[in-house]
Amino acid sequence: MRGWNWAGFFDYLTNPYLLEGAVTTLWLTAASISIGLVAGFVLAIMRLSKFKPFFLAASAYIWLFRGTPLLVQLIVIYTGLPQLGVRLSVVASALVGLSLNEAAYLAEIIRAGIGAVPAGQSNAARALGMRDRQTMRYVVIPQALRIIVPPLGNSVNGLLKTTSITSVISMEELLRRTQVLIQERFLVLELFVVAALYYLAMTTCWDFVQRAIERRFGRAYEQIGAEVEQR
Amino acid sequence: MCAFRIGLRTSLAAGFLASALGVACAQDCQSKVAAAELTTPGSLVMSTNPTLPPLQFVDTAGALKGMRIELGTEIAKRLCLKPEYVKIEFDAMIPGLQGGRWDMINTGIFFTPARVKIIYMIPYENQAISISVANQDKGKVGKVEDLAGKTVGVEIGGFEEAKTHAIDEALKKEGLAGLTIRTFDTFAVAYQALKAGQVDAVTSIDGVAKEYQDRGDFTRAISGLYPAPVALAFKSKALAQAVKGVLDDMKKDGSYDKLFAAYGVPPFSGAFEVHGPDL
Repeated sequence: MRGWNWAGFFDYLTNPYLLEGAVTTLWLTAASISIGLVAGFVLAIMRLSKFKPFFLAASAYIWLFRGTPLLVQLIVIYTGLPQLGVRLSVVASALVGLSLNEAAYLAEIIRAGIGAVPAGQSNAARALGMRDRQTMRYVVIPQALRIIVPPLGNSVNGLLKTTSITSVISMEELLRRTQVLIQERFLVLELFVVAALYYLAMTTCWDFVQRAIERRFGRAYEQIGAEVEQR
Repeated sequence: MCAFRIGLRTSLAAGFLASALGVACAQDCQSKVAAAELTTPGSLVMSTNPTLPPLQFVDTAGALKGMRIELGTEIAKRLCLKPEYVKIEFDAMIPGLQGGRWDMINTGIFFTPARVKIIYMIPYENQAISISVANQDKGKVGKVEDLAGKTVGVEIGGFEEAKTHAIDEALKKEGLAGLTIRTFDTFAVAYQALKAGQVDAVTSIDGVAKEYQDRGDFTRAISGLYPAPVALAFKSKALAQAVKGVLDDMKKDGSYDKLFAAYGVPPFSGAFEVHGPDL
């Protein structure tokens, strides 16, 4: 037994090479969730559309990307597509793979959020003379956002950890850099604990951000709640 | 004739077992290796990353094949142990050995001074580094300098990766552009990336690069770089010494040379010796 090596643990905890890997994980998550949100929103609207081709196209996309493993999607994008003349760099492949996959899941979350707004709300908006687009923009979406935030938070948290899969196509994120450093001194437990702490720190930060967003979209309801209590 | 019970960890097809050098029954002999030296009493658990044809690979039926696999099976047989293989990525090999997941690394691990500080090793095979390129780049790379500024793929954690970094440094020292090194979990993905044109070259070993060239998949542009012995690795000193005894016997009766000749791999020149933290 070699026991726990504190000196090695602290060395790696402050290792700049590893920190850079964590930064890569962070921006990869942020970029993928941003692109995924925009694409997911478009997909959700398409799925709710009464125009059949939109509905079918969005359904097929969601079916394909939710039905196949991300690992397979990444390897196909990185080493399969060049066969068809589409060659994306490692970073682009990772970003495209994560975003496309995330969009499919987010589309379902957004669709559920929009569907959860009572029909009476859009009926009332129409009764006030709002057009479909205005109804969406001013009545349905603001209420849907509040419902979307908690599951969206789950997605961000999950994605932060899922980015480690991109190491298979040689993306140098936190996990890959951890594996690289392990070969140096074989402080396996110490290094993985450091990596786990980095992931925990990032997910904890996201928790705070998520709470703040939830408060922001819940403001209207807090006021109503307070008024009800006063009466 | 008696049947082998095949553990879940082994993916050896029964047919392969039967054909592999006439494996004897475990009951026929009593192993000289104490049970305490093994992760699974009665078995020799070996780790291998089967992505290196013709030395270690999986055939279309899913059976483990190759020179090193045959060697490991023969060693287990002569130790009166049941051969079991764990297929795993290279970067997990040494941590898994230290963690008691397997008894012997049989994946062509290069012998290095850094490694014998932590594990026991027996050099048994000579290998060197090769550079494979896509067939359409045949003739464009003939020496290390031709790699300047290129993107090179390699499996993570091995001697090949270390030497790829060495090439990068050597190029920079000469004032040339260095390499962009991409590390993959296995050689299989590295070669896939080469096929897809995602990398310009792959660093591998002579035997593997030659096999791919013979099959017509890739061109071996450079070979014979950084020659070094390849070893079997152990956590247990007693097991390492028992395996050294088997290798000596195999050398004496000619089966070692016969096996290497069958695969066109030059046999190890010196005497077999166990190296380790206290040796």
